Order: sequence, then structure tokens, then C-alpha cells
Amino acid sequence: MQILLYILKRILQTIPLLIIVSIVSFFIIRLSPVDPLAELRLNPSVSKETLQRETERLGLDKPIIVQYGKWAKSFIKGDLGVTSNGELVSAKLKERIPNTLLLTAIVIFLTWVVGVPLGVAAALNWKTPFDRMMTVLTSIGMAIPSFFFAVLLLIFAVKTGWFPVGGLTCTNFSELSLGGKILDLTHHLFLPVVVLFTISLAGLQRQMRANLLDVLDSDYVKFARAKGLSEFKVVYKHALRNAINPMITLLGFEFAGLLSGAALTEYVFQYPGLGRLILEAVLKSDINLVMASLMMGAIMLVLGNLIADILLIITDPRIRDK
Amino acid sequence: MKRIIFGFIILFLIIWGLKSCLHADVPDIDIAAEAITDTDTQFTPPPPQKNVTIDGVDYLQSQAPVGQFGGTLVASTIGEGPKTFNPFNSRDNISSLMADVMYDGLLTTNPYTGEVIPKLAKSFEVNGTEYLIKLRRGLKWSDGKPITADDVVFSWQDIVFAGVGNTSVRDSIVIDGKLPTVEKIDDYTVKFTTPKPFAPFLRMLSNPIAPKHIFEPAVKKGNAYFDTFLSTNADPKTFVTSGAFRIQEYIPAQRVTFVRNPNYYVINTNDEKLPYLDRLVYLIVGDLNNEVLKFEAKELDIIGLQGANVARFKTLEPHSDFTVYNLGPNTGTMYLTMNLNNRKNENGKFYVEPKKQVWFRNKNFRTAVDYAIDRENMVFNIANGLGEPLFTAESLNSIFLNKNLKPYPKDLNKARELLQKEGFYWDKRGRLFDKYNNRVEFDLYTNAGNTEREAIGVMVKQDLEDLGMKVNFKPVEFNSLVNKLANTLDWDMVIMGLTGSPLEPNSGKNVWHSRGTLHMFNQRLEKDKNDDLFVWEKRLDEIYDKGALAIDFDERKKYYDEYQQIAYEEKPFIYIYSPIVITAIRNKYKNVFPTTLGGATHNIEEIYIDKEGGK
Repeated sequence: MQILLYILKRILQTIPLLIIVSIVSFFIIRLSPVDPLAELRLNPSVSKETLQRETERLGLDKPIIVQYGKWAKSFIKGDLGVTSNGELVSAKLKERIPNTLLLTAIVIFLTWVVGVPLGVAAALNWKTPFDRMMTVLTSIGMAIPSFFFAVLLLIFAVKTGWFPVGGLTCTNFSELSLGGKILDLTHHLFLPVVVLFTISLAGLQRQMRANLLDVLDSDYVKFARAKGLSEFKVVYKHALRNAINPMITLLGFEFAGLLSGAALTEYVFQYPGLGRLILEAVLKSDINLVMASLMMGAIMLVLGNLIADILLIITDPRIRDK
Repeated sequence: MKRIIFGFIILFLIIWGLKSCLHADVPDIDIAAEAITDTDTQFTPPPPQKNVTIDGVDYLQSQAPVGQFGGTLVASTIGEGPKTFNPFNSRDNISSLMADVMYDGLLTTNPYTGEVIPKLAKSFEVNGTEYLIKLRRGLKWSDGKPITADDVVFSWQDIVFAGVGNTSVRDSIVIDGKLPTVEKIDDYTVKFTTPKPFAPFLRMLSNPIAPKHIFEPAVKKGNAYFDTFLSTNADPKTFVTSGAFRIQEYIPAQRVTFVRNPNYYVINTNDEKLPYLDRLVYLIVGDLNNEVLKFEAKELDIIGLQGANVARFKTLEPHSDFTVYNLGPNTGTMYLTMNLNNRKNENGKFYVEPKKQVWFRNKNFRTAVDYAIDRENMVFNIANGLGEPLFTAESLNSIFLNKNLKPYPKDLNKARELLQKEGFYWDKRGRLFDKYNNRVEFDLYTNAGNTEREAIGVMVKQDLEDLGMKVNFKPVEFNSLVNKLANTLDWDMVIMGLTGSPLEPNSGKNVWHSRGTLHMFNQRLEKDKNDDLFVWEKRLDEIYDKGALAIDFDERKKYYDEYQQIAYEEKPFIYIYSPIVITAIRNKYKNVFPTTLGGATHNIEEIYIDKEGGK
């Protein structure tokens, strides 16, 4: 009951937050000098009448407040509007979300399955050659910019011919059998996953290692050891449980990054995800599409934090009792 | 000690690794320049396609060598892919390209000569204001329904003239506020009538024809519905087309696949229905670099190349499976222009400082600037030798190009002479002053992010500093630059480019007519009165009005020669150079006859894959 009330309170709190986010982003986009019709204006064969009609069609002739009001009204009704080309925003997003989710979900799954155990192993083998080696590797992983790494792998793909150069499916995808389709997807996903995996693995492993080292150094762990508990119990029952708290907060952020975290890598690999769509929308000031993606990002962040908090309540009795 | 040795080893490895990059990154300009003069792109085009009637069906017979059926051609588009598959709704290049693949127009342009030739029409006749079009008998849409005069009348009357969808075609054929009319004479004859003789209308007839039985219900549902009709979400099976291909699938942000239209009306000399290719795929690629990588990884069969890549592909060509074609200068123009505006804004302030107005509005000043610019050098350094210096308002491949306007080299002495004549003088440090003792200093803008224009800006700045001018070069964001050019008008000098049509100078009316929306060098806003025209501006207005009304090519050519002459002498725009279009296509494709007007795939139905001697 307590938890339900808490969740309700949190959800109510997000409403003003979302309103503020929407106002700020709407005004920033509209007040920036980006003119969605700039390309048309510089095309000699476009007449004044055409420009006028386009301005009216996009609603650019009205004051910003009115534009915002119109957008907000339809947003509340669940209508995301149309893009500047007349396509439904919801349909556009629906095309891309599964692709991005596929990529980020695989990456998050892999990093957590590999990263957390590696972090624990490194902390338990503190200052051994294994730990030092991991430190060097993760430093490299954290230092290398994702787009640069992605470009390197692309060149690798071109030179060896082992991997396709970007994309998600090959041209005869629709004619493949189910097994062939899965194989083709794996083939295309491999490089982008490697890039994202390397980079987030490094961060996660460092985080886990630092947390566990902190906890291992605390008094209650020393006490547990002094009490004569087996090392296994000390680490996995007492230390790990306490070390996991910051990781849960991190998980909340990872959740927020599910839809937006891979934009740069998506762009380099020409991955048909949300990143490319949104980038183009921002460049063209395609207001409905940009707003939809920003709101989506904000909601995902709020939701991620909420999930993290709930998980914390479950794992940490200290918070529960307050 | 051990550490030092270790350090050296690592350093050595890094240098060794970097060394291998060295060679590839230095573009070989000699080879690039060679690509221009290279003669391997010369070929004899096939004889023109003929009308042939078999069993009452008026086919168009390709005269190109007979090829083999089957196979796929993979091409690419840069950007986020098509926005719509509705040919009457396309507002961007990629959507238009997709529409062109699927829908044929009544007429088309001969890709070799630029003449207007029949396509979906069997023949056409022009009599002053009347355009009599005979259709081919027995043609079918991809769903088997006949293509008749009803479809033509519907497409023009109920879609284009009615202002449904993208209205730019309609807006461009309004003559004195009146639209042309179209009427059906019989099932295979239609007649268009323009309110006045209007030459550009003929080329407008290449606009696609829609299947009435598919489009009529959509048009009836109103404009808002039509905007979403045949959008990218539409089911590919519902498409009914007249072109060589029909859409098979569209995968957002990845590709568009077309399959051959079995009812296409072009046949080969064995009377077999074309196209040869089974499928045509357009990959949707985000940027140029990725496109090049995809071509190298053999995921693409054809690619447009630019700058340094040309040199590299040219060196690769002899031991690769592709040929590099030179399609000649492109249709755009790149230029430097000054703000000749002498009007005031709403607040009573001059758009351009009065002292600068005196300079910019002076013909000798503009000519001096023109003579100071080293176009050859820019072609060599910025375009890797892949460009042609440009001196005319029409692009170099325009059929209206005035060939009497000769290029000239950079001539600083002449420039100095012209400035001296206007009372400009130099101080001891070589700085330029006008006769009222004002230091000649102004801002030069271009859009940031366009590396080519930025490079040109730097070189223009250097060239003008040779004359003692102080140039503040300021690349600004594209949108704010457009705002400056179109609304606030507070700029001195700018480097811009415009797309042009090599076939129809009237498409530049917005630029050259004194009330045009792109009359940049002397832009008049809505509120501005249309007086104080330069004498030559007035003449340009006349030329543009008369040029469109004349029907005969030679008569029109006279008008448009004069407009180029005026632009050449008065220099409202100082043209810089035209980049050359280069395309690479794999050797296994035969019947490839790229032309400057039609590109590499203008005869897509004739292109086939040679299955044996491909390598």
C-alpha cells in the first residue's frame, strides 16, 4: 500500500515536469533560427505562392504560443501529429522503435551479464595482474569515442568483407527462411553491438568494482570476516547486496537510454533506428517529430528513475522503513 | 632501461601503423584531373527509340543492343529516404526520384540532345497555344487496366490544376493568373490549351500521369487525405504504375525495392518487353562516406563520386570491376554576389551601409572583384581539378548556354586599373580606400558546414586581399544565412549556390526577375516599391517576360543569350566554377550510356547484366 501511494505520488510529480520540459523544448526549437523552409526558399523554381502555402500548412504563420497550444492539445489526446511531410509521427516512430530496442536491449543484457561478474571478479582479485589487466582494458574502452571505434570497425568490415557495411538486413531479406533471417540479423548487428558493448561494459565494470571495493573495506564486512563466516557468504550475502544499490540507480538510467542511447553509433552504422530519424528531424526543425522524441526521452527517464527507486525499496530495507 | 626500450617499440609500432595511412590520404590531383580529359567515357549512343505497332499496341522500341533478362541493380540515395510515393505530393528530391521510377509522363527529354520527345504519348504537336497529344493505343497500367485519355485529363485537371498535393507545378504554369485547360478529344487524344503562348509548358508535360481508377477516390476525399495517400506506409501491393518498375517493398531507413512492371511498353528489337532487370534497389544511406564504403564492399553497383574519392577510384579502376564515367559539369551554379540594395528597412535604416552601396552598385568595382578571383586555382585546389571555371549564368550543360561569352584568367592589373578609374587608391601599406577616404572593408558570408563553400570563401578572401580590400569571412549557419538573404537583407557579400535547369531558363525567373523571391543581389521585399531599377534589371525583366512567351527555340535562345550577356557584363553574380559529375558503375552492367542531362540510369529499362563477360 505504502509503495502504491509512493508510486502514485511520483507519477503526479512528473506531470508538471513534463509540461516544463515540453515548453522549454518547444520554445527552444521554434526560437532557434532553424527555418524548416530554408531549402525551399533557395530553390529558384519554387514560387511565392508555394512558399506561402507551405508556411500555412506547417502552421508557421501563427504565434509560437498558439503553435504550442495546438501541439499540447493534440498531445494530451494521444495524437502526435504529422511530420512536415505529412506522415504520421506515431507511424514513423513505430517503424524505428523496434530496431533501436533490439540493439539496445541486446547491448544492455550483454553488458550486465558480463560487466557485473567481471567487476566483482576484479574487486575480489584486487591489485592482482588480472585486476590490472582489466583496468587497462576498461580504461581503453572508456577512453575510445564510440563514433571513432565504430568507424574503425566499419573500415575493418570493408577491408575484410566479413561483415556488411551498416544496415540491418540484406537486400533479399524477405526471401530468406526464418533461420536465415536470424543469421542475417546477427551478421548485421554484430559490429554495432561490439561498439556499444565495449563502451558500456567498461563503465559498468569499473562501477561495480569500485562499489564492491568500498563495501569490502567497511566495518561490517570486517566484522563478518572476524565472525568467521565463509568468504563466499561474506561476499555474496553481505557485501554484494550493499554494493548493488548504486547499480540499480544506474539501471534506471540505462532504461532511459534504451531509446536514445545509441544514436551516434546508429548513425555511423546506418542503423535504421531512432537516432537517424531524430537527427534529421532536428536539422529540419520538424517540430512534431522532435517534440515526440523529446517527450519520449523525458518519459523514459522519469520512468527509469521510478523503476530504479521501486527496485531500491525492494532491495534496501533502510529506504523501505522511512 | 627496459621501459625506454618498451616505449620505443610502441612508438615504432604507432608510426609504422600511421605510415600505411599516408599514401591513401594524399589525393593524387594529376590522376583526378586526368579523369576529366579521359576518353574512356566516350561511346556511341544507340539510335533513338522508335514507335512500333504490334497487334494494335503502340510500343516504343529500344534500339540498343539486345541483352539478357534478370538480375538486380543496387543504387543508393543519401538521406533519410523517400517521404512519400505519391508522385503529386513529392516535395524532396528522393521522393521525386522514386516517382520517376514508377510513373512516366506524356513527354520526356532526350537525354542526349535535350529535345522534348514523346514517352507515354505517341506523338505531340504544338500550335501556338494548343498542344495536341496522341496517346499510345493498348498500353496498360501495371494492374492491366488500359491507359487512356481519361487518365491524362484526370491527372491534369483534377490533380495538378485543382491544386491538390504539391502545387509547385501548378504555380509555375499560371500565366497572368490563368491556368491552361485540358480536354479529351477521343480515347487516345487530348488537347491542352494555354491562355497565351507559353514555352515552358511543353516540358511540364513530362509530369507523371496518374491511374484515374486508383487516384480518383483519394482526390475526392480532399486535400488532407491526399497528403497521406500513397505515403511510405502504404501497402506496396496497392501501387499501380506506368513506369518500368513497380514498388515491391519499402523498409524504412534501409531500402526501397522495385520489381519490373510486366506491362511496360518499351520493347527491344526482338520485340520482348523490357526492362531487362528484375529488380531495382535503392539503398537509403545516411552520408557520402558510408555510400563509398558500401560501394567498395560491393553492396552498391553504382555511385556518384566527389572530390578526392574520384582520384582514388580512378587508381583502383584498372584492376577493379567498375568503370568511372565523367558526366560533365553539373547543373548547379556557384557564385559570389554583392548586395546592391539601396533601400531602407522598417526602422528607416539602410540594409547596406551607404558607403558600401557606392562600391557594390558600381559596375567597375564588381568587375575588379571578378578579375581578382582565381577560378583555375579554386578548381585545382578545392575541386581536385574536377570542375570547370564558370562565367555564365546558365550552367555549362544548358542547351541555352551562350557560347560567345569567353572565359578569362585572373588579372590583378586590370582589376587595379578599374578601381583606380573609380577613384579608389592604395596607401603605403597597400590598403584600399575609396575616393571618400573610406577603407574598403566588408563581410563575406557563406553557410557553415559546406566545406566546399568555406574553402572558396577562404580563397576569395585571399584573392581580394591582393587588391587591398579587407574581407571578414564569416561562415554562418545555413538557416540564418537564408534568413539574411530573404528577410533581413543585412549582408555585404555572400557565396552561395543555386540549382538550375539545363533545359529551361525560365526556372530561373525567381532569381532574375526584379520582383523574384530569389533576386538576391537586389532583393525587394513585399513592402518595397519596384522603382529605381538598374537599366539592365529592367531589360532582364523584359527578357524574362518575353522569353517565356516565345515558342520557337531560336527566338527564345536570342532572349536568353542576351540575359547571359547582361549577367556577364554587369556581374550581379560572379560565377566561380561548376563541379563535374562523376559516376562509377560496375562493368557487368551493359547498355550503360551516361549523359550529362540524363545521368547514368536514364535508360534503366535498357540496362542489363552480362552474365558471362562481366569481369
